[in-house]
Amino acid sequence: MNERKQLFRTEDPFDTQSTNDQFLAAVRENCAYQYANCKQYRTMLEKLQFTPEMLVRYADLKKLPFLPTVLFKKHRMYSCPEWKMPIKATSSGTKGKYSRIGMDTGSLLCGLRMVLKIAKWRGLLSFRPVHYIILGYKPHRGNDMAVTKTAFGSTFFAPALSRTYALHYENGEYKPDLEGIIEAVQKYSESTAPVRFMGFPSYTYFLLRRMDERGIHVTLPEQSKIMLGGGWKQFYTEKVDKKTLYALVKKVLGVAEENIVEFFGAAEHPILYCDCPEHHFHVPAYSRVIIRNVHTLEPVPNGTVGLVNLITPMVSATPILSVMTDDLGVLHDGEKCKCGIQSPYLEIIGRVGLRDIRTCAAGAAELLQQTEGVL
Amino acid sequence: MILANGMIYDSGEQNRILSTLEHRINETILHQPLSTETVIAAFDELSSRLKRGDFYQITQKIQLENMEHSLQTAVRMLRRSSMEYKVKAELGQRFFEPKLTGPPLGFERIEVCPRPLGTLLHIAAGNMDILPAYSVAEGLLAGNINILKLPSADQGLTLEIFSHLIDIEPKLRDYIYIFDTPSSDIEALRKMAEVSDGIAVWGGDEAVTAVRRLAPAGCRIIEWGHKLGFAYISGYEHKEAELAALAEHIMITKQLLCSSVQVIYLDTPHMDDLNDFAKTFLPYLEQAAVLHPVQDMGAIAEMTLRRYSDMLECTLLPPDRSGGKVYQGKQCSLTIAADNSLELSYMYGNCIIKRLPEREMMTHLRKAKGCLQTAGLICAPSRRARLTELLIRCGVNRVMRAGNMSDSFLGEAHDGQYALRQYTRIVNVAL
Repeated sequence: MNERKQLFRTEDPFDTQSTNDQFLAAVRENCAYQYANCKQYRTMLEKLQFTPEMLVRYADLKKLPFLPTVLFKKHRMYSCPEWKMPIKATSSGTKGKYSRIGMDTGSLLCGLRMVLKIAKWRGLLSFRPVHYIILGYKPHRGNDMAVTKTAFGSTFFAPALSRTYALHYENGEYKPDLEGIIEAVQKYSESTAPVRFMGFPSYTYFLLRRMDERGIHVTLPEQSKIMLGGGWKQFYTEKVDKKTLYALVKKVLGVAEENIVEFFGAAEHPILYCDCPEHHFHVPAYSRVIIRNVHTLEPVPNGTVGLVNLITPMVSATPILSVMTDDLGVLHDGEKCKCGIQSPYLEIIGRVGLRDIRTCAAGAAELLQQTEGVL
Repeated sequence: MILANGMIYDSGEQNRILSTLEHRINETILHQPLSTETVIAAFDELSSRLKRGDFYQITQKIQLENMEHSLQTAVRMLRRSSMEYKVKAELGQRFFEPKLTGPPLGFERIEVCPRPLGTLLHIAAGNMDILPAYSVAEGLLAGNINILKLPSADQGLTLEIFSHLIDIEPKLRDYIYIFDTPSSDIEALRKMAEVSDGIAVWGGDEAVTAVRRLAPAGCRIIEWGHKLGFAYISGYEHKEAELAALAEHIMITKQLLCSSVQVIYLDTPHMDDLNDFAKTFLPYLEQAAVLHPVQDMGAIAEMTLRRYSDMLECTLLPPDRSGGKVYQGKQCSLTIAADNSLELSYMYGNCIIKRLPEREMMTHLRKAKGCLQTAGLICAPSRRARLTELLIRCGVNRVMRAGNMSDSFLGEAHDGQYALRQYTRIVNVAL
């Protein structure tokens, strides 16, 4: 996987212009590997009459078959023996179904390189020890969720003096401990070391509202940062208006907007999407996004809403090089953002299916499934 | 936003209001009984205001398909004559008037006096904007105090309606509490349940199970659960008209309602008949899809994605599990399946066709008894009575014609029950 290594060595993490050839080479290398080592992947490509050699020019990328993420929820697809995968990450599945994505050592090293580069660019790397407040799951052996790993991983950007978790694993289930968190926030606000928050935007909002209602307002030490992150779903299921959240952060924690950083990732596309100072999610050099027409699945021009196809050659253990999420999104021209990054930025608009609506017929099917097991 | 005792409050006030809720409710029950007549008069005036266009501003803001149609339906349903008809159909004449009886064996004189159940908590689903208001309206008609937990998708219509209603009839002020509490705030929901005599829950398995967990023992749970509709075809009266009506119904409701068609059953043991039917019916469905296209982009994307996934997945599955033949039409499809179970289709104009010979109906439909509601029956006139009876015995609660499966009418039972009856209690008094 030499081409992959080259790609992840790219100097500028948002250079999606001059890296096109390298990106295509790495995708072709990955595609050939999957084609040779994953029987299911090969079968599907054969059905679509596609072979890795058909990736000749960068423009051929749009012809690369994409696998819907739902397939990874129903089928275990690996391209190397499981003992070769130090990590298996799962998506935080809904309805008990989740994807299981194997990660090989090579992809983990690439991932580490990517995370460090992006964290450095966003000013998250520091030698100054900090207190971490994690509004998420405390890791334990049974929890493979990618969000847990991401949250834990992000506590290494700066040395940790302490880690306080909002969700504790007790007697087989996770229990929230908001009081403990509020106490910790109050305590660390008096300390000289900066505090770093890490959590889902919704949890953060909930916690801050609680504190605000009770009249608890603190000023966290300088260089404190609020990191908001989660899966792709967090993009849009949050009704919380960003400006409201930022204002609340300022009011309750005394942290200014420039110290709020958001990032997202998904088990099926484990690329770190981190927001720019304008809070836009530019596509990093290690990833490409193709928005596809909802009727025809053909690529659409920037600015048009469609299905989101994500491509990365990062992982070899599982054929996730090109996946189709069940999100609707838009890709905007990079120039439209004032931050200076030229790479286009992704905005997730919603999810396939009628928005916000669970139909009554759909609910009944779930009920049948449980009682009869007919579906 | 919260509506309590006729005042609008910020969501942040929720816990303060909840802490005094029990006291407020007790005071209301003690001092101000509510008569059905008061409620009917208020609704009648609301109907006139709706007709006059008083709600124009809010209805313009709300995204709702068929808004104009829904409004006209509401105007008609809320009228005095309609409301009176509904009450009479569900409760009979002079339901709340005490009646003297002399039962044999024991007491000579017993007074039977039906009363409102007391306080009702409504937990409404998000799939119809008008549903939360409708549920509370039923609670009011039966004389109850109503607490409503709004669905997260509510767009403000419900609060608007009841603010108007209270404006019309201030006596209703203490009978309506509306909270925008999120479903995750279990503590608040439990407090609401604790002061309630009954909980009307509209929604799926998850919602019902959650409600059962938080309801105190002895609290009556009235479930309006999710259902699956189907069409049953055994011959025709006017083949072309009936198939056209069925296709229209599928495309108009987009198969999203409990009463919509998911599966079309044919009274036959032969797979060949299913294929023949699909070939005949697909043009009808295509035509209806042109007239009533799916417009929601998310829904279109979902269908495209599912088709693509199915196409890929059938290469991964052994041939016998790779699913039935699909007849793909423009913006619609028909799938042939070899089994007989009632199941959810892909919706939005994508139906499943299955076999269900008359003699096997009981065996297979009974397996789905918890989900049965509406059947659209297409058959020869001579067979209608017999098949209707059979469907009823299998557990179906609405036997309709294929084109009007989802039509509602005044005084109709819901899932085999009269809602107003569920929202009352019968009191016996020894004289």
